[in-house]
Amino acid sequence: MTNFLQQLINGLSIGSVYALMAVGYSLVYSIMNFSNFAHGGVIMFGAYFGYFFITLYKLPFPVAFIASGLCAGILAVVIQRIAYKPLMDRKAPFLYFIISAMGVSIFLENIVVATIGPTFRTYPAIFSEIPIKIGALNIGRIDLMMFVISAICLGFLIYLIDFTKIGKAIQATAYNMKASTLMGINADRIIIIVFAVGGILAGLAGVLFGMKYTVYPQIGNITIKSFIAAVFGGLGSIKGAVIGSILLGVIETLASGYFSSQYRDLIAFALLIFILIVRPVGLMGKVTEDKA
Amino acid sequence: MKKKALALIITGIFTLSLGLTGCGGSKKASDTVKIGWIGSLTGDQAVWGQCESNTVKMVIDDLNKNGGLLGKQVQLVPYDTRGDGTEAVNAVKRLTGQDKVIGIIGPNASGQAIPISSVLEEMKVPDIATVATNPKVTIVDGKVKPYNFRVCFIDPYQGAAAAGYAYDVLKAKNAAILYDVADDYSQGLTQFFEKTFTEKGGKIVAKEAFKTGDVDFRAPLTKIKESNPDVIFMPYFFKEVALSSKQARELGIKATLMGGDGWPSEQLISMAKDAVEGSYFVNHLDFNDPEVAGFRAKYKTAFGKDVELNGFLAYDATNMLIDAVKRANSFDPIKITAALETTNMTGITGKIIIGKDTHNPENKDAAIIKIVNGEYIFQQKYAVH
Repeated sequence: MTNFLQQLINGLSIGSVYALMAVGYSLVYSIMNFSNFAHGGVIMFGAYFGYFFITLYKLPFPVAFIASGLCAGILAVVIQRIAYKPLMDRKAPFLYFIISAMGVSIFLENIVVATIGPTFRTYPAIFSEIPIKIGALNIGRIDLMMFVISAICLGFLIYLIDFTKIGKAIQATAYNMKASTLMGINADRIIIIVFAVGGILAGLAGVLFGMKYTVYPQIGNITIKSFIAAVFGGLGSIKGAVIGSILLGVIETLASGYFSSQYRDLIAFALLIFILIVRPVGLMGKVTEDKA
Repeated sequence: MKKKALALIITGIFTLSLGLTGCGGSKKASDTVKIGWIGSLTGDQAVWGQCESNTVKMVIDDLNKNGGLLGKQVQLVPYDTRGDGTEAVNAVKRLTGQDKVIGIIGPNASGQAIPISSVLEEMKVPDIATVATNPKVTIVDGKVKPYNFRVCFIDPYQGAAAAGYAYDVLKAKNAAILYDVADDYSQGLTQFFEKTFTEKGGKIVAKEAFKTGDVDFRAPLTKIKESNPDVIFMPYFFKEVALSSKQARELGIKATLMGGDGWPSEQLISMAKDAVEGSYFVNHLDFNDPEVAGFRAKYKTAFGKDVELNGFLAYDATNMLIDAVKRANSFDPIKITAALETTNMTGITGKIIIGKDTHNPENKDAAIIKIVNGEYIFQQKYAVH
């Protein structure tokens, strides 16, 4: 029984990593209707921002944490302005957006390799490495923190989307961009806000990822799992992205623990295919265009 | 019309530059000879690759200052494989086809050294791998690959040494293995560790896997914890070792950790000093051997960093090639290859006597190293019997 509970905790902690990454991704998808492959790059930059704020500028952790989020948000908006807006203005087909996004992601990874270097960095130990023991179970402090912070961020996001005027504007733009401009909504401004929020979440996710594991230019590749989680939970649905991520983390871990660790990724991708066949809109995706 | 002109100009520039690069290859300076090097200058193993290329450059610079090789100056042509097998093949194609090197040093990893053999055989140029330990680098299906050589011992030897040491000296009865299912090196080591450990009477209580690039090992580690091993064998590279050892300790695993030559690196200590305290691994030599102190000091002065394991082996590999060229008294890669087969020299990593049928150094000693307080402390030389 303890084995099962420990694996469950492992799965939940991996799931919350995926969740924070998947939410920003899902948010952009709901508005722009395309997969922002550059999201992984922003996460990676968030990890590096945090690392340098803490080691080079010696900022206290909470300040560095929020600053990284903000810088990542700015980066996301810059990417939108440079790589996506020109395509939007020209009403380019969606394929072009995806190519542009991939280009940005390759660029981000390699600019870090070329300037900062490919060796990985470790965050100084800010939180005690000693795990919290409950009986025979071990829960890492960082995991607990990630879980709590993810919950807070997501709670804030849900508040923003469902209960504020801006949130309503975002929902309207996601539903039908043209019609919302007729209602007096500045679609361009909404897009900037959405990318900024997505970027901030990515930045925070990056810092937490870097703290939990390590900082290296290829962090963006982990976001493939977040993509699976977002699709699994329902692209365009925030709650779906969260639930999908947690479920993916748990299923992956239990499969690895009880079935075979060699087949772990196979199971994750098989799940994706299964969902796409059986219920393409994902767990929480609605068949109508109601998104976000 | 303006757009068309622009397109034409750009096409013209590209065609011109293509022509120029094509021309460059045929110009041959008759007083220099080229030696190639391949390895990871970027990617996970960049730290090692950069150390190797620095070392090879250092050896060649010294050689050139002292009159060069058989009267000619040597030019080093290094290529980055990014740690990828396909890139390695491309690099070797360029080195043999375009640069026309007389021999190639590196790579350091079996995952890159194995696929390049077909190009080597086609172009008939020899390659000396530095730290590639998988048996398939030089021998496949019982036959030796004519143009592949190495200066290091092989995985059967390494895996057996680790298993033997664990059973005979550490008196471990139960062992667990966590390995990288996507890596030839890791798979090879695992296979031979398991074979030797069970032959000696030990029991493998858990065998779990992950994929290169993974950062979270807690699912397989929890399973390993349940099996209660005395020793956990972690035959992979330092980044994953650092992460998995930290996570193992976080889960409360107290077993002794063991590894192979993929462990030693300054980064392992900076990342996971406490987690790997008291661990053992198999290495090619003792870093603190007074005989290698001269080389270590020279490297530190020249490059400002401590030399990594790869540097020692790259040093020996380069000298092995130089020695073969001198004995062949020729720059013909085919004659050099024949000379390599009869290599009998002493390098800084020990005696290097190449076996004609295996292209491996025969009976090279392995060193068992223990990590104490962030330092690599030599325990003993271990030979497999």
